[in-house]
Parts: sequence; structure tokens; C-alpha cells
Amino acid sequence: MKKNKLYFPVVIMLAFFFSCSKDNTPAPPPVPPKVTTGVFVLNQGSYGANNTMLSYYDFTSATQTTDFFKKANGFGLGDTGSDFIIYGGKMYIVMNVSGYVAVANSITAKFIDTISFKNAGVNRGPENVVAAEGEVFVSSTDGTVAVIDTSSLAITKFIKVGSNPAQMVVAGDNLYVSNTGGFSAVFDSTVSVIPLNSLTESGKITVGMNPGSISTDNTGNIYVACTGNYGATAPSLVKVNINTNQVTKSVDSAFGTIRYYNSVLLTTGGYLGAANVGIFNPDNLVAVRPSFVTDETAIENPYGLDVDPATGDVYVGDAKDYVSSGEVFCFDKTGKKKFSFSVSPGISPIKTVLVQQ
Amino acid sequence: MGIFTMPGTVLFAQYKSDSGRVLQKVTVTGERKQNPFAAIVPVQVLNREALLQINAENIADAARYFSGVLIKDYGGVGGLKTISVRSLGGLNTGLVYDGITIADAQTGQVDLSKFSATFVQTLELDQTNPQQIPLPARIYSSASILSFTSNSFNTTNFTQKKWLAGMNTGSFGLWQPYAGLYLPVSKNMVVSANVQATWAKGDYPYQIENGMFSQKAYRSNSDIQAFQGEVNTLNRFADSSTLQIKVWGYSSERGLPGSIIFFNDISVQRLQDKNFFIQSRYLKKFNTNTSLLVSVKYSTLYTKYTDPNFLNNAGGLDDRYSQNEIYGSIALSHRMGKYFSFSLASDIASTHLSANIKAFPNPTRTSLWNSFVIEFTKSHWQLNASILNTDINDKTETGTAAANKNKFTAAFAIGYKPKPESPFLFRFFYKDIFRMPTFNDLYYTYNVNINPKLLPEYSTQYDAGFTYSKNFKSALSQFSISVDGYYNGIKDKIIAVPSQNLFIWTMKNIGKVQINGIDINGQANGKFSPVVRWSARIAYTWQQALDVSDPSSTIYKNEIPYTPSHSGSALAAVYYKTWSAGYSILFSGERYALGENDPTNLLPGWDEQDAFVSCQLPFKYFQTIIRGEVDNIFNQQYDVVHYYPMPGRSYKLSITINSL
Repeated sequence: MKKNKLYFPVVIMLAFFFSCSKDNTPAPPPVPPKVTTGVFVLNQGSYGANNTMLSYYDFTSATQTTDFFKKANGFGLGDTGSDFIIYGGKMYIVMNVSGYVAVANSITAKFIDTISFKNAGVNRGPENVVAAEGEVFVSSTDGTVAVIDTSSLAITKFIKVGSNPAQMVVAGDNLYVSNTGGFSAVFDSTVSVIPLNSLTESGKITVGMNPGSISTDNTGNIYVACTGNYGATAPSLVKVNINTNQVTKSVDSAFGTIRYYNSVLLTTGGYLGAANVGIFNPDNLVAVRPSFVTDETAIENPYGLDVDPATGDVYVGDAKDYVSSGEVFCFDKTGKKKFSFSVSPGISPIKTVLVQQ
Repeated sequence: MGIFTMPGTVLFAQYKSDSGRVLQKVTVTGERKQNPFAAIVPVQVLNREALLQINAENIADAARYFSGVLIKDYGGVGGLKTISVRSLGGLNTGLVYDGITIADAQTGQVDLSKFSATFVQTLELDQTNPQQIPLPARIYSSASILSFTSNSFNTTNFTQKKWLAGMNTGSFGLWQPYAGLYLPVSKNMVVSANVQATWAKGDYPYQIENGMFSQKAYRSNSDIQAFQGEVNTLNRFADSSTLQIKVWGYSSERGLPGSIIFFNDISVQRLQDKNFFIQSRYLKKFNTNTSLLVSVKYSTLYTKYTDPNFLNNAGGLDDRYSQNEIYGSIALSHRMGKYFSFSLASDIASTHLSANIKAFPNPTRTSLWNSFVIEFTKSHWQLNASILNTDINDKTETGTAAANKNKFTAAFAIGYKPKPESPFLFRFFYKDIFRMPTFNDLYYTYNVNINPKLLPEYSTQYDAGFTYSKNFKSALSQFSISVDGYYNGIKDKIIAVPSQNLFIWTMKNIGKVQINGIDINGQANGKFSPVVRWSARIAYTWQQALDVSDPSSTIYKNEIPYTPSHSGSALAAVYYKTWSAGYSILFSGERYALGENDPTNLLPGWDEQDAFVSCQLPFKYFQTIIRGEVDNIFNQQYDVVHYYPMPGRSYKLSITINSL
């Protein structure tokens, strides 16, 4: 009789052990630091993990605060943030998989409102955001560009464009939208042109297959990075004269993100290209030098690429392996590293925006 | 858990009296004569009685009670369930039903929710090669083997006609009728058949925790309807050889509720499965020393995945995959002299996959497996060594096919008993093996950069342990325990890596994992009095699985996702005359949901506790068993896979009638 009694206490102990170990309710998030001068970084997170985070890096104290948005508001942004801007005292965070745009105060990140991107309950897939002339534009995978009134925060119009639009740029009097068609068997190859005075697509420019990142020199040209079809159709970089809507230059090169600044075109390689930050001459689309970076700084996987227009400082978000914590590097315009910081536990830093109080 | 109830408790209770005879029957790794605690390699078995207690809705839910096992469960009756053993990953466990492998070359892992536990006789987990011969060579080609046997091939079926029918019903819209018949058509032939249908809504409540946007919600698009059935024949011939034929079919249609996405709760994806196979095994013993086992199988797998909200130009996704396989095996074993036995086996399979996806290469894989096993048994010592040659050739209709792979792998096991009658057994095993990249790894085109240069993923296992097993003449009649420490290594682990952005992936051989662990299993049973019987079992695992892929990464030496340090299970049941009652616990400690071991990625530990009461009511011509069950008694809210909530407290009522 004695021996068999041994077993049951073990079971009870186990139950006790695990009922003890589960009371790990996370501590309430600490109050976020006061924002002065620094950068906000949008960390995309992992798909399905609801871990999009906003980081704040303070220039004075040289410290990074992760999940700034949650600390300011007590809730998380959700899944797969794809872009954000600061415009008119507000920040607009585009949540691609969660299907909404979060609007918050541009300094405190205090939540103001959500703008839903559901069409009869179905996520439109908001992707990219730009602002111009008092309005905010959000492109969505469902083939639309939403026009958001910045005071009422209501969507006043959906502009129909091509299939699965990715990125946008305002150049001249128009909004240009790259149509990837990436969800279909045959990719799209066009850029939609939307005059800002009509807010209706006036036409399409054929560029290269699967156009993605798009940038302008503000002197009558846009540049489009086309990814190709991962097979026979090679990736290309295309230059378009927006006065004639004609492709004036096209080279076979693979880029993820491109940014024009001060007579150079900065690039990341994306998957198909080299894993570095490139610098190109926008006239002939030839590399100025092998790498934008002129010191020993090694970046594993350049992902986000942003330029501070005031100083020419270049911010590169390093996504590493897309599953571990990202890092953000700041370079001066000559390609020398000024500083860098980890966005741990933020994953895949996709966008850096300067904030100044 | 548990939806199915005890089909044929009585039916199988009848077997108990002559279980000695039953157990001599061959199935591969099937009903074993040997106590699993007396094996020279780690083997865990859930017999009929334990399966009835767990009352699992499918074999995955039963396999959760094994040590060293992680069942990746996406929640609910229709949620996908896959098994990872000792952190080797879901694609390194072979699945064997009535002696023949069930494979899926497209995904490399079979969804275990397709296999009902209702008519299963034993469920067994072999940590390395099963230690009996002859076996088909393909069985040696996985790191570990989960095998299950139906009750259709018992020799007791020759003697008596039996039938049973029953129904389970429970929370969240569960209805599950089933029936089985075992018919001896002659002295040497039995025909049996069983069918089961399952309907579940799966609309269980869960809580979304996100600050001011927290809310209670109900799982939607989580319904399933599934039908399965099989027909078996068992023949024995004058020369004592046996022939088994099994025809099995499964058809289901289910919603894929997806992960909980904050601010976006719509999910409309659906999955349809139609699976079929016919298989046959012929076993002949030429004399006491020489046996021949011939196995053949033809199987088809059809999958249809739809997503009407997918934002392509066609207005939604409708992907259809069709896979078929022809398989054959010849295995021979021979005993030479007093101490040695050896076995040779040669298997071939041809697998073809086609899809309605543009530019899909429609691959065909021809696989050859040749194995040689040698066994040595002498008083205190048992040794088993095996070598396996695997040759794999892929062909594609378009695009580049993976290059030919030809590999030799080996396994070795040794057991030592201090004295022949000693309750102790000391054991050690080593096994190295690889898994081939799957068709999805190599040829899936949508949003994946094809990488036909992928290499196989290698795993190496070392295990040392002991068992203690003893019978007593007291209230404790039998007590067994096993303790095994292990070290596993994985190299060239195949990992999907987002490449250009989060939505474009590529497969790479970049992973390296180091796994240390301890498995403890205990089992005991006895009688408190002549009419009160009890049984209990416990399984505990300590594990540490570290990502050692890249020393420069911030996740170097971090725990890989979903490997709790502590996990396990406990079961206890009491039987009094026609009554039985039981209690079970499953638990898991904290673990990380992502590769980075940051507190924000830490998932809390959980435990699930279930209880049941069952009673048999005898009538004149048949017997009725009524069973009531409460699962997750404390209504614990937990996820096995992050943002795939598991059901809270649920109830189930089961009624079975069967022949006396």
C-alpha cells in the first residue's frame, strides 16, 4: 500500500508547480520618456505576431525606447506596420495586416483615432503613405489610394489605380503610384498618374515588371525600382520624364528601396541585389562608388532607407535576418557613420522619421 | 481535448483475458509483447486502455501525453496538429499506420488531426529505429516514428463476430457518430469495417488582450466536417502466413481561422482534403529462423485551399494540389546461430505532385531505401546496428529539379541488464538521419524564391538512460520508470527566410540547433482490492534547444521558439466494477514564441486538466457505455501556438453500444 501512494503526491506537486509558474502577468508599461529631438523608427514585426513597434531614439541622451506607442497608449499597434509619416502635427502609422491606420500625436504618440481599411469587413491591405496639399494618401493592396482628410480623419475618396499598388511619390502636380500586381500570376508593369487637382487616375506609364519603390528628383523625373518576376524577367531601375511620361533610361539592376537626395540616388539591394547601400548617379543610373558607406560599418541587411532632408543624414534600418532585433544606422551625407542603435526587441526597422520639438 | 469517446470499451476489455495471444500478432511496432520499459531504446506506448482514458479526438491529442513531444496545435477540432519530437522539428517524425508509412512529400508532415483515435488499438512513439525485424527500410528513414495500429488485425477477430456503434457530442457544436463491425467470414478470414463522421463548429470563446481594445471574442471560421472510413481483411493461410489488406479514406472540409490579428478578425480561408490509400502486407515465416515481409501501397492526397478575399486579379485564391504515391517493400529477416539475427529490406516509392498553379513544375520523386540491420543478443547484452542507404531523384516538367541525393546513414543501440532478472536496464543509442527538402521547400512558387539547391537537413541523436521495471504482489502490482538524457544536433536546418520583404520568402539551409534534454516516464498499476483497480502514468521533459546557426546574430544561443524547459503529463484512473473514472494533466512551462528570447516574446506556461466518469450498463444482447467528460476543467486560456487560442472548458458526453 505504501508504494503506490508515492505516485499521487507527484501528480499534485506537478499541478501545483505549474499553477504557480503561470502568474506572470506582465508589468504595466512604464511611462514613455518625453520626446525632444530624435527619430521615430517603425519596426514592422513578424507576420502574425502582432508585434509592430514604434521606437524612439533620443539624440541628446542617445537612448532608444522600444514600443513607444504601447508605452504611451497601453495597447499595441498590431500586425505588420508597413509605413508611417508625420504630417500636420500627427503621425499616421499604416498597419498592413491589421488593416487600419493609427493616428497619433506627432510628438507624444498619444493615440487619436483609428482609420479602418476594411471593405465590407475585408482588409484592403493599406501599404504606403504620403502627404501633399493638406491631404494624406494611403495606397492599399486592393488597388486603391485612399484620400484622408487630415482634420476629420475620414476617408473622403478611394482612387482606383492598378493592381496591388505599393509605393507612391508626389512629383510636380501629380501623385505617382507603382502597381506591382504582385498577388497575381502575371505581375503589373505600370505606374498610375493621379493629378492632385482631380484626384482621379489620369493614365498609366509602363515602366518595368513589378514596380515597387519610387522616388523623385523634383526636377521632372521619377525613378522606379522594378523587381521583375524572380525568373526570366530581370529586375530593373527605370527613369521616367514626367513631362513626357516617357521612360528615358532603364538599367538591369536589383533594388529594394530607392531614395533620391541632392543629386544622388541611394538604394538598398533587396533580396535580388547586393546587401549594401548603393549610391548612383541619377543621370546615367551608374554607381558613383561601390557603396554609399565609406567607413568600415557593416550592415547585414539594409531594409529601411530614409534621408533627413534638412541635414542629408541617411538612416538605414538593418533587418538582420528578419526574425531578430533590428538596428538603425545613421550616416552623414559622405557615408561616414554618425551613430547606430538597436531597436530591440523591434524587428525589421522599415521607416525612420525625424521628430523635433 | 478529447472528443471521441470510448468505442468498444467492453469489446476490448474482452481481449484482456487472452491478451497474451493477441500480443503475438505482428504489426510493425504494433501490439507488442514486450513491456516498452524493457526496450533497449526509448519507446512510449499508449495502449487501448490509456487511449480510452484520454479519449482523444485524434491521435495528435493522445500523443501530447508522450514525453519529449510538442504537438503544434492550432486549436479546436479542425485545427492543424503536427508533432515535433525532442525538438527535431515537425518534418523529422515518420508516421506509420498498420505497418506502412503515411507520407506527404509536399509538406513533409502529415496533419495528425486527420487520424481518429476511435478505432486505434495502440499508439507508439519510437525515439529511434523500432527494434524488431523484419521492417520496411523506409521506417528507418525518419529520426523518430509515431506509429499506430488499428484493432482490425487482431487474431481474436477470427473467433467471434463483434460490432459497436456510438456517438460523441459536446461543446462548440460537436457531433461524432461512428460504427464498426468485425466479421469472421471463415475460420481463416476476417473482414472488418469502420466509419466515423465529425461535425464541429469550433466557435469557442477566447479573450483578445490589447489594452483598451481588449475584448471577448468567439473563434470563427473554425468549423469542420470530416468523414473517414476503412475496410480491412485479414487472411491466414495453411502455412501460417498472413495477409492484411486495408482500404482507407478520409474527406474533410474545414475553415482555417488563422491567427488572432489585432484590429482584423476576418478569416475566410477554407481547406478541403480528400485522402485515400490501399495497402497490403504479407508476412511469411519460412521456419523459426526466416521471415519475409512484403508491403505495397498506393495513396492519393488531394488538397484544395481557397481564400476568396485574396487580392489578386482572379478575385481570390483557389489552389488545388494532387499527390499520389506508389510504394513497395520487401524485407527479409534471418536468425543465424544462437546470438545473431540480421535483416535486409529494400523499398521503392514514386511520388508525384501536380497543382493548378501557374508554372508549377509538377515534380516526381523516386526514392529508394535499402537497409541492413544486425542484432546480437546474449545474456546481459542486446545490440542493434543498422545502416540505411537512401537514394532520391527528382524530376520536374519545367524548371530545375533538385540534384540526385544518395546518402548512407546509421543507427546503433545497446542495452545491458546487470542480471537477466534484474529490474534495471541500461541503454544507449545513436542515430543519424536526414530529411529531404519537401516539394514545398523546393518547388513552391508563390511568393517564394525557388531554391532547388537546398540540401537535406541532418539530425544526429545520442541518448543514454536506464529503465526500472518491477512487479509486486501488493496494491502496486507493477511499476516502471525510465530516465533518458539526450543530445541532438541539427545542421543544415531548412528555414524559410523572408527575403525581399516580409511577403517574399526563400528556403535556406542555414539553421543549426543544439538540443539537450531529459525524458522521464513512469507507469504503475495495481489493485486496491479485488474489485478496485488503478493505473497511472507520468511523463516529464526537461529540454534546452538552442539556435547556434550564426555566432554573430543576436539570437545566437537563444532558445528556439516553442521549446519549454519543462513540460509533461500525468494520468490516473480508477476502475471499480462497471465504473471507471480518471484525471489527467498536461502542462507546459514558459517558452518563447519567436527566436529572440526577449521578455516581450515570452509565452506564459499553461496546464490543462481533464476528468471523466464512465459506466457500463449491460443489456441482454448488447452493452452500453456512458461516459461524461470535462476538459480543461479550470478553463485555462492558453495558446500552444501564439495567437491561436485553445478552447477553454468544454464538456463531452459519449454513448457506445457494442456486442457482448
